[in-house]
Amino acid sequence: MKDRNLARGVVLSGIALAFGLGALKYPIGHLNQTGPGLFPLLVSSVLLLLGVATIVQSFFTERVRVGFTLKNIVIILSSLCGFAVITERVNMIAGIIFLVFCAMLAASPYSLKRNAAIAGVLIAIAVAFYKLLGVQLPLY
Amino acid sequence: MEILHNLAFGFEHALTLQNLMFCAVGCVVGTLVGLLPGLGPLATISLLLPLTYSIPVGGALIMLAGIYYGAQYGDSVSAITMKIPHASSIVACIDGYQLTLKGRTGLALFTAGVSSFIGGTVAIIVLAALAPALGKVALMFGPADYTALMLFGFVCVSFVTTGSLLNGLSMCLVGVLLGQIGTDVNSGVTRYTLGLPFLADGIGVVSIALGCFGIAEITKNLDSGEDRSPFRGKINLIPTWHEFKRIIPSALRGSVVGSALGILPGGGPVIAQFAAYALDKKVSKHKKEIGTGAIEGVAGQAAADEAAARTSFIPLMSIGIPENAVMALMMAAFIIKGIQPGPNMIAGHPDLFWGLVASMWIGNCFLLLLNVPLVRYWLSVFKIPYAVLFPAILFFCCIGTYSINNNVEDVLITAGFGLIGYIFLRLELDPAPLMLGFILGPMLEENFRRSLLLSRGDLSIFVTQPISATLLTLIAIFMFWQMLSFFLRAGKNLVVPVAIEQ
Repeated sequence: MKDRNLARGVVLSGIALAFGLGALKYPIGHLNQTGPGLFPLLVSSVLLLLGVATIVQSFFTERVRVGFTLKNIVIILSSLCGFAVITERVNMIAGIIFLVFCAMLAASPYSLKRNAAIAGVLIAIAVAFYKLLGVQLPLY
Repeated sequence: MEILHNLAFGFEHALTLQNLMFCAVGCVVGTLVGLLPGLGPLATISLLLPLTYSIPVGGALIMLAGIYYGAQYGDSVSAITMKIPHASSIVACIDGYQLTLKGRTGLALFTAGVSSFIGGTVAIIVLAALAPALGKVALMFGPADYTALMLFGFVCVSFVTTGSLLNGLSMCLVGVLLGQIGTDVNSGVTRYTLGLPFLADGIGVVSIALGCFGIAEITKNLDSGEDRSPFRGKINLIPTWHEFKRIIPSALRGSVVGSALGILPGGGPVIAQFAAYALDKKVSKHKKEIGTGAIEGVAGQAAADEAAARTSFIPLMSIGIPENAVMALMMAAFIIKGIQPGPNMIAGHPDLFWGLVASMWIGNCFLLLLNVPLVRYWLSVFKIPYAVLFPAILFFCCIGTYSINNNVEDVLITAGFGLIGYIFLRLELDPAPLMLGFILGPMLEENFRRSLLLSRGDLSIFVTQPISATLLTLIAIFMFWQMLSFFLRAGKNLVVPVAIEQ
């Protein structure tokens, strides 16, 4: 997307349409006996109006490029998802080690020694939470 | 006299060893969070929410409140010394950083500390005097009035936090729609769950807050990739008597401005700082110096900042409607602890209410102690490189979301909201109104449906009730003014090219 204002309007209208069309599946009811679909339908109609207004507005304002770098967000999200999956399949200590080593790909310079130190400290904190505060963590 | 009696009652509760400890922990964590990049008060409060499950109600609320006003303070320290505000202390960067450039960092920090103390003290008096009275007014509110009040809050917050009514209001509504996910309380129908069983209870507030504010912020900081240079200057804290005298009037002005603006819907520390700074620029004896490193430029805004952070509790605790995103999160914390904030809270749980008010003053003393004599130790926090910090923040986000329900699916939801939050950030859509919309959404729907039930489906109930009619008129005027100003601007832009073509 080259135009941030336009992209904003499109995203907002998209959200409004997704929720608005979804609301039609639920009973709307009457005004004196409102169903579960009425309120989301109302809200998403207003949001659609605002989204369209944003799109219209974007034609009158100066274009701004969207600065979107994929690398860091992908690294962070995959380290989180990896943490979740490994915690479920193996245990949380392995999850924490993966989290640190994967997330550190976003930092430069990449140093295995520093990663190991950070992972060690974080595991110690997790153990302290588990033993001292009684937070239930599937550590091992 | 009654206030004194109530405050004494509050101090009795706040001064127990346990509550003092929670207050101290809150202030320390808050200051730390204010100093460090990547975690604002919103993310921290949501992070610590799961850990407060095992703490008694009073202590939990005292701690969370301490984090909020502590973070406001810590933020101003990093703004003064390094010109990097994280949450809200934009104004402290102006004169505070100018003073640092002049080599007077110590004076700026001392001024900010003392003014914050004055601001906080004034605000607590306002809070103690006004909240119970406002609670009585709130009893006159019907469901239609509550609906209108929430909409009014949306409009004010949108305008104040984002500067653009269109963007802010859209984000509020996105938040309301996200709040629709889960089971409808009136009919039992599950909405927008996509057939996933863990969505039947709705999305957790912690997941949204950590995704939009924690993870998205971290990624943004990594994208910008700048390394901060730690502060290495000298700090000489003790001001001369002449300088000290200049702090007081400005701090008092700031306290009054901050207390007043903290109460209004959409208000809060940010707008209070700007207003106090503008006022000082107009009426201060040394107004010519402001902007180039004047004591008044630091004192007024610091007092307003702290005052507003405390008085913004008034609408939450007396009417039951949070006025900004942080207060919305505090409301979620109250509800998790089984307390419904609102007109009945002061009468129903006087120990909690007055204990919290008293703890705010105790927190004031802690902050003064932490930040004035000990400030140079805090500044060493900046020597930690961001590459060490962000995995730790990610780790706390994971542990925080996991421990709510002992469920890894919550971590995945948080990651999802991290992506959504990042897209919003890149599109310059502020997630703070989304948070408010998300927490108020279910309340808004309930009050809206209840008003229609009371009026037997007649929409005119919203304009025949005096309170709701007034609020809706204000909203309409505001919207009309916004549209008018946009068309006038757009009109000018269109006229110019036409004129050139001719």
